[in-house]
Amino acid sequence: MPLLEVTNLKQHFTTKKGFAGNKTVVKAVDGVSLTIEEGKTLGIVGESGCGKSSLGRSILRLVEPTEGSIKFKGKEIVGVSAKEMKELRKEMQIVFQDPYASLNPRRTVRQILEAPLIIHNIGNKIERKELIEDLSGKIGLRKEQLSNYPHEFSGGQRQRIGIARAMALNPKLIIADEPVSALDVSVQSQVLNLMLDLQQERNLSYMFISHDLSVVQHISDKVAVMYLGKVVEIADVAKVYDTPIHPYTRALLSALPVPDPTHVKNRVILEGDLPSPSNPPTGCTFHTRCPMATKECREIIPPLEEKESGHFAACIHV
Amino acid sequence: MLLEVKHMSLSLKRAGKYSKILDDISFYIEQGETLGIVGESGCGKSMTALSLMQLLPEKARLEGDVVLQQKNISKVSKRKLEKIRGNQMSMIFQDPLTSLNPLQTVGVQVEESLILHTKKNKKERRERVLQLLNAVGLPRAEELIDEYPHQLSGGMRQRIMIAIAMACEPQLLICDEPTTALDVTVQAQILELMNEIKRETEMGIVMITHDMGVVAEVCDRVIVMYAGKIVEEAPVIELFGNPKHPYTQGLLASIPKLGRRKEKLGSIPGTVPTPGSMPTGCRFADRCPHVMEICRSVTPEMIQIQKSHQTACWLYDEKEGNENATTRSHELEAALHN
Repeated sequence: MPLLEVTNLKQHFTTKKGFAGNKTVVKAVDGVSLTIEEGKTLGIVGESGCGKSSLGRSILRLVEPTEGSIKFKGKEIVGVSAKEMKELRKEMQIVFQDPYASLNPRRTVRQILEAPLIIHNIGNKIERKELIEDLSGKIGLRKEQLSNYPHEFSGGQRQRIGIARAMALNPKLIIADEPVSALDVSVQSQVLNLMLDLQQERNLSYMFISHDLSVVQHISDKVAVMYLGKVVEIADVAKVYDTPIHPYTRALLSALPVPDPTHVKNRVILEGDLPSPSNPPTGCTFHTRCPMATKECREIIPPLEEKESGHFAACIHV
Repeated sequence: MLLEVKHMSLSLKRAGKYSKILDDISFYIEQGETLGIVGESGCGKSMTALSLMQLLPEKARLEGDVVLQQKNISKVSKRKLEKIRGNQMSMIFQDPLTSLNPLQTVGVQVEESLILHTKKNKKERRERVLQLLNAVGLPRAEELIDEYPHQLSGGMRQRIMIAIAMACEPQLLICDEPTTALDVTVQAQILELMNEIKRETEMGIVMITHDMGVVAEVCDRVIVMYAGKIVEEAPVIELFGNPKHPYTQGLLASIPKLGRRKEKLGSIPGTVPTPGSMPTGCRFADRCPHVMEICRSVTPEMIQIQKSHQTACWLYDEKEGNENATTRSHELEAALHN
C-alpha cells in the first residue's frame, strides 16, 4: 500500500473579474492522480502556473480540494473533521519556498521549533528541550544559536530551520514546495544533502516540488511532469530523464542549460509562452506549443496512459 | 580592445559608514566576445554592471578607470555620459516588468533612445522600431507597437527590453541576469535569441548570471567573483574543465548534474562575509578546504598560471600550474614568521 494515494484531485479557484463580477474558474489542479511510496521521493516539476504548488497545498488540505480523493496510509482524508486533520498533520508536514517569510520574525529559533511540539502536546519541558537540541544539531546549529531570531541567520540556515520545524513531529511525509529555489547553489547543495540524509535516517517520504529540473532529478525516485493543472508524464526518474515520452517533457529537458561548455545541444525550442491557466486551450492543453500537434489534439483530451511498463504519458501521438 | 576596466573599486554608504562593495576589479572585453561574470548573491556582480553604466546610488564612491573604445568614460560629465548610455553601451535588467514603464506603449519605449541618439524622423523611427521588434522574434509587430507592457508575457517583455537595448546598435551590451525571472522553455528562447545576436553583430556582451548552465551556453570567457573581488578568470572550457580556485571548484561541485542521482553533492561550508566585516587576507579563507596560515593575513593577487588563465590563490605559482604550487607561499610564510 502506498503511503499517499491521490486520485483524480481537482483544485479549482473562482475569481471575479471586471465590474460585473463575472465569475471565471481557474483549474489550478485538474484531475491529478499519483502515489508516493514509503521512504521514496516523488518530484513534481513544471513551469510557473502549472499548478504544482496548488497540488501540494491541496494534498495537505491547506486549501480545501474541489473534488477527488486523498488517501494517507489507506485512510481517506478529504472530508475528515478539523480535529482528525490536526492529528494527521503530525505525520504530514510542509516546507515552504521562502525561508524569509515562513519563519515568525518575533520568535526565537527555540520557540519556532518548540511550537509544533506544544501544539501536539508532546513531552514535557525537559523532553522538548532535548528534542529541540537534538534537531538543531542535525541541521548544524549550535545550542547557543537557538536563542537567536530568524533575521540573524542566512537564507540557507533559515531554510534548514524550516526543515527542522517540519521534522520536529517526526512525520512520515514532507511536502517541500520549492525548498531550495531561493538559495545560492553552494547553499542549495547543503540543504539537498540534509534532506537526503534525513530521508535515509528516518525512512521519510518527500513530495519535492520544483521548477528546477536538475534538482528534481537529483533528489527524486519518481517524477511527475505537470502542464496547466495536469500531469502529462509520470514514471521513475531514469525513465523520465533518459527516455522521455511526452513532447512537453522532451522540450523541457532539452531547454535546460547544461553546465558543460563541451555539451552538444540538440534543442527543441518551444514557441510562445505558457497559456493562461484561467483560459486554457481546448483538447490537449499543450497543443498550442507542441511541435507534434495535429487537428485531433485540439479536440481530444488525452488520457494519462501506460505507454511502456511503469511509464505513463498523456499524448495521443506517442 | 572594446572595454577595459582598471582597478575599479566601489564604496557605498551604509548606516553612515562607507563600506567597500567592489575591491580592485580589473578586466577587459574584446569586440564580439561574451564575457560571463558569475558568483553568488552579494558577490558584487550586479554592482559591477551598474558601475560600468554609472547607474549608482547617491553618495557612491567609484574609483578606477573604465575605458570604452580608447576613451576613458569614468571621468566624463553627466551630459556626455548620457550620449554614451543607450548608444554605445546599453543594459538589460533582470526583471522586465519593473524595468518597463507601465504607462507607455511598447513603441514609445523602444523609440525613446532613437529620439535621443539619432537624427531619424518620425517615419524612419517607426520603421526601425518595427524592424527591431521583428528582429527579437516578436509576432504581429504592427499591433504590438501600440500595446502596453501588462498585455505581454514575461518572455515577450524581455524581448522588448532587448529591442530597446539594441535600438542604437551599441558596441557593448550588459545583461544582468536576463533570464533568471523566466521559465526554462522561455529562457531557452531568449538564450537562442542572444546567440543569434552574437552571430550577427560584432557586439561585446557582459553576461552577469548565477547560473552555470547559462554561462556554459553563451559565454566565451568567464570571471568568477567572490565577496567583491575577482578570484578567477579563464576561457569557458578551461574554467569548467580545469577550475583552479577552491571557490570555483566548490561552486562547480555543488551543482546537481543530469545523470547522477541521489549522490552526495559537494558544498561550501559557512556563508559569504558581509561588506562591513571582510576578513583580512583572502576573503574565502574561512570557507576554504585548503586554507593555510598565509591566507588569513595576506591578500592573494591575481596571478597568471596558464596562458589566459588567472586566479587569486596562494595555492599556485606564477605560470607553474599546481604542481610545485606551494613554494611561493612557503617562502612568503617564512618571511612572515621572521
